[in-house]
Amino acid sequence: MAPARLGHANLGLGVGLRATHFPFILQHWPPVDWFEIISENFMDSRGRPRHVLTQIAERYPIVMHGVSLSIGSTDPLDRAYLSRLKALARDIKPAWISDHICWTGVAGRNTHDLLPIPFTEQTLKHVTQRVRAVQDYLERPFVLENPSSYVQFAGSTMSEAEFVARLAEAADCGLLLDVNNVYVSTFNHDLDPAAFIRSLPHERIVQFHLAGHTNYVTHLIDTHDHHVIDPVWELYRLAHRLTGGVATLLEWDANIPPFPVVHQEVLKAKQFMTERLPLDFTPGERAPAPAGPPPSRENAEWVPHPLHHVLAEVE
Amino acid sequence: MTPSERNKTDVIPSSERHNAPRAGTSPPAGDAPPLDVVQRWFSAVISHPDGVEAGVEAGEAQAFIPLSRHELERVLTRSEKVSARERLSIYANAYYARLIECLSDSFPVLKRTVGEAVFNGFAFGYLQRYPSRTYTLCRLGDNFARYLDETRPDRAPGLAADSKPPLGWPDFLIDLATLEWTIEQVFDGPGVEGKRTLQAEDVLELAPDRWAKARLRTSPALRLLEFRFPVNAFYTLARKADKTAEIPPPGPAESLVAVSRRDYVVRRQELSRPQFALLKAVRQETPLAEAIACAAETCHWSDATLAAHLRGWFRLWAEGQLFIGLDI
Repeated sequence: MAPARLGHANLGLGVGLRATHFPFILQHWPPVDWFEIISENFMDSRGRPRHVLTQIAERYPIVMHGVSLSIGSTDPLDRAYLSRLKALARDIKPAWISDHICWTGVAGRNTHDLLPIPFTEQTLKHVTQRVRAVQDYLERPFVLENPSSYVQFAGSTMSEAEFVARLAEAADCGLLLDVNNVYVSTFNHDLDPAAFIRSLPHERIVQFHLAGHTNYVTHLIDTHDHHVIDPVWELYRLAHRLTGGVATLLEWDANIPPFPVVHQEVLKAKQFMTERLPLDFTPGERAPAPAGPPPSRENAEWVPHPLHHVLAEVE
Repeated sequence: MTPSERNKTDVIPSSERHNAPRAGTSPPAGDAPPLDVVQRWFSAVISHPDGVEAGVEAGEAQAFIPLSRHELERVLTRSEKVSARERLSIYANAYYARLIECLSDSFPVLKRTVGEAVFNGFAFGYLQRYPSRTYTLCRLGDNFARYLDETRPDRAPGLAADSKPPLGWPDFLIDLATLEWTIEQVFDGPGVEGKRTLQAEDVLELAPDRWAKARLRTSPALRLLEFRFPVNAFYTLARKADKTAEIPPPGPAESLVAVSRRDYVVRRQELSRPQFALLKAVRQETPLAEAIACAAETCHWSDATLAAHLRGWFRLWAEGQLFIGLDI
């Protein structure tokens, strides 16, 4: 059996590095345990973003989190992308590199979204081969995340949780368990979030993601624009207990508040690292129905994240 | 043979077939289509400009998975509360919304100038003609100015692509888009931070008899832009003005602009015609004497006047870190 976290370090409580926080971080060097970067924001940068990252990487542990690997696509792996990713890793020496169990485009087109895959033996074999190829190329610890999803395929022959578990074992990779994504996806697909988390190979989970989402009553969208809601914190408590604790990262990608607010949000995780408090979720229980009216669809805030785009600074 | 009777792998266009499952690979479970067929179908449906239902029944999607809009649940499941069509629409809506949001970030002054509705219309059409084909959103707007030119409303039907309509409002918007995209590229492109750049004296103290062979090397951040409208001044006004203030668009007037970067911040400088001619020649690594002659051709200044201007220009440009080397 693999060691806990596959032997990787528990980095503590980290925050997703966003350009809007650059000035605060450079001025205050806040006592955050670690940062996760969106790899694509920096891999081609030869301007301020890369300059800032270099300084931050000298002071904090870094994890590289990608959104464009498209590991589930039937297009060939993008060698140019992988080359840039590897070069960035060589420079900033991340604790590990992660991306999503998804595809982002096909036939040469990129939707820049994290699209769902059918959970079949064919897909499992295909993705496993590609994960192995990527790991061999990157020569660094590689970790895959469960994305939020809004559809499921009629042709799927296994659950997402089974697919994720079998993929991690077959490809011998780590898992980034996005607790909010579990909540969002299982709500959208009428499934049990706690059962999802319980069924994973916990020793392969090397990182957690936490984030806020938007509630449309009939479905949830992973918008990364709110505080983490209580039911997600309860799932986090469960995941923490099952794994023994792993590096935990808060993502906030829209309506981003000042850095101290984001940092404080992830520090709340400490409250859920004890088993003395009762668990709200028991096996077989569905995610509780969210309350409150849905936000307006006219507002672009509902776009699922992450987006990766850095605004120019100009005199 | 009706489309639904055809073998689904046979309907992949031959140009796209290189990733189709090879003979001998395990067939998918049940009657589920192969993964590449599912992905091509999914991509075609969510990027259809008229939405999911039209996308499902459009030719591109039909070529991969022939379905009517009422048969969507053959491919995608519904949830207790949301239909398969509504679930798929989340991806379709997000596809355009996400990329239009990115283009809005890249062209903020253009968007402010034409208004959100018009800008979104531009972006929507652009994404259909030039969908993203790279892993990075940093290249998303590469063809935006070109698209505005290709679709300008004053281009008469049948007019050759290289013929020029009369100068007008579309040219202003194209120039503005070009400036904003250049600024974004310079911001995150290569620069000279942390490297030695030339001081004005490095050039000014060079003996005149060496100018015939001396060549300056310019910063990789330097871009020289030639506009038909004063979009640089307009850009400055728009950035300084209150968000709700109306900024009247200018009439046509030549505007020559150097865009560069210092200390990771993009800088813009309006150039006179002689300045532009000189910098353009220098950037092409033309010998300094020849480059100065290029500048002199654009004005009627005396040698003394030109020499005085040159001293000021080189001081300004050296301060802006435009030169990274001098080959003598």
